[in-house]
Amino acid sequence: MNYVILCFKNFIHRMLSLFSFGSKSVTNDLDIFIKTNTGNTISVSLDSSWDIRNVKEIVAPKLGFQPDEVKIIFAGKELKDNITLSECDLGQRSVLHAVTSKKKAKVIPIHDTVIEEEDLGSKPLNETLQDADFYNSRDDKVPLDLSKGKVNFYVYCPTCKSLKSGKLRVRCETCRSGAFTVYEDPQNWDDVLKHKQIPGYCENDLCPSKKSGRNGEFNFAAFFFKCSEHTSLGEEDEAVPLYLIKTNLREVSCLACGDICNPVIVFPCKDGHVTCLDCFRQYCSVRLSERQFWQHPDYGYTLACPTGCPDSFIEEVHHFRLLSDAQYAQYQKFATEEFVLRSGGVLCPQPGCGMGILIDEGCKKVACVNGCGYVFCRDCLQGYHIGACSSNEENIDSASCSYNVDPSKAANARWDEASKVAIKVLTKPCPKCRTPTERDGGCMHMVCTRAGCEFHWCWICQGPWTRECMASHWFD
Amino acid sequence: MAALPRRIIKETQRLMQEPVPGISAIPDESNARYFHVIVTGPEDSPFEGGLFKLELFLPEDYPMSAPKVRFITKIYHPNIDRLGRICLDILKDKWSPALQIRTVLLSIQALLSAPNPDDPLANDVAELWKVNESEAIRNAKEWTRRYAMDT
Repeated sequence: MNYVILCFKNFIHRMLSLFSFGSKSVTNDLDIFIKTNTGNTISVSLDSSWDIRNVKEIVAPKLGFQPDEVKIIFAGKELKDNITLSECDLGQRSVLHAVTSKKKAKVIPIHDTVIEEEDLGSKPLNETLQDADFYNSRDDKVPLDLSKGKVNFYVYCPTCKSLKSGKLRVRCETCRSGAFTVYEDPQNWDDVLKHKQIPGYCENDLCPSKKSGRNGEFNFAAFFFKCSEHTSLGEEDEAVPLYLIKTNLREVSCLACGDICNPVIVFPCKDGHVTCLDCFRQYCSVRLSERQFWQHPDYGYTLACPTGCPDSFIEEVHHFRLLSDAQYAQYQKFATEEFVLRSGGVLCPQPGCGMGILIDEGCKKVACVNGCGYVFCRDCLQGYHIGACSSNEENIDSASCSYNVDPSKAANARWDEASKVAIKVLTKPCPKCRTPTERDGGCMHMVCTRAGCEFHWCWICQGPWTRECMASHWFD
Repeated sequence: MAALPRRIIKETQRLMQEPVPGISAIPDESNARYFHVIVTGPEDSPFEGGLFKLELFLPEDYPMSAPKVRFITKIYHPNIDRLGRICLDILKDKWSPALQIRTVLLSIQALLSAPNPDDPLANDVAELWKVNESEAIRNAKEWTRRYAMDT
């Protein structure tokens, strides 16, 4: 009954606006694209104070339908007639999906509860989810007794190149069409980030694996994020969810600075340790300067919880985008180098080059093809030579080199004498991984700083660190 | 010099208002990151009755990097070398930004109660501690009397 009254009110309102404010179309402030399930796209200007019924009336004639035959779908939900556009957090150039409602999604039983068809229409997903729901993981059933607010998502936006708030959007996992309604709301990050968690109905007639929604056959939702703070550049304009960043609903203080900040990083450890964003940046930058990130086999070059909790590595490495551009560039450089070395490759030893080169097993002669052109021996990292590697540096001149080498590249590829002397004087190679190491003070007990090597060695013996080293020349 | 982070101010205030029993840590007048520390030797240890001076420095990256701590008073202990450097995991690889000046000094006090000769920094001391504990304890008591009770 309420619905009928509402519809009636809307109708009156509409009539009024048609007659008295019809000329106010200049206030149409939203440029929106309407996509149909037959693959057409039309562009319309809308006023954010209008409701969905108004939108249907504008859109339906352009598609050759009656307003009642059209459903408007946005962010995983069919939008109800009485919702105004301003409630939907539509940005400029957002895409709404208009589909004919002759083929209705039927009542779908899921998890023993029946969703009434009436409930399928609502506000878009982003507006109905609650922040508290996304605080806990699925196994963490600790109730959060807080007044619930609208969900806040944080993303790294590649267009704005910074941390921004984000909007959750949904599309069909198969055909990537946004004309998709979910049967249930995602309740936590697992539902959003993992595949095939939330079932739904794809309205796109062209979807290659469109399911009826009956007999347990349905399509799955694929979630993605958009930046809230710039005009959409199209359907491919996505942002990366930084899901460890959360609104500080519990008012937890940062473990490092002790302040209560908002938002915060919640590390993926059992205790859910919290730091503020500034302390997270400092933590990353200290670890980066010491080259103490870890090369995780699945996640890549990453860090764990600063208190050293087990199994707490950060899986989404875009969180390191919170670093400055220069630091992030260094992060990428280190990560690449580490990956090359872990894959059995070498880094070009030419000072200032350092190009990563992946080589076939058994191959000893390495040429820095896409870099400086230097040709070197894989084993001793000196200029390439025939025969066994020699520790005598005078013998490594490439007199025996009779290969076709570009003379200009060869000129650049000379081992600079000054660097050679400097490196020879200042460094000793780690006995295990041969990383040239400089000792800038302290005792003779060296620990290789390459993450993953961490070999304990003696600066004097150039072998493993032993009790004898401790006894005879620890602090010499 | 950059402003002192709020965390250091808060830690300093708490150290002054609620000092840890047996430990005093007072920031230097000219450098708020440098602390003059006095730790009393724990009861039932060879260091009982001694007052041990230490210096503690909070580096630029604190609390992401560990504080630098060193004994100034000479001490006969297997995990402290002749320059006063301390072998304690939380000052090295087990450091966590959740630790504080307070917890570090408590750990150092605990190290005095429970020397660990299997992870030594002063090798000759550790050797004696293992082969002849009673003589090592006698030495530790003698050093405490000689260097840590001079008032």
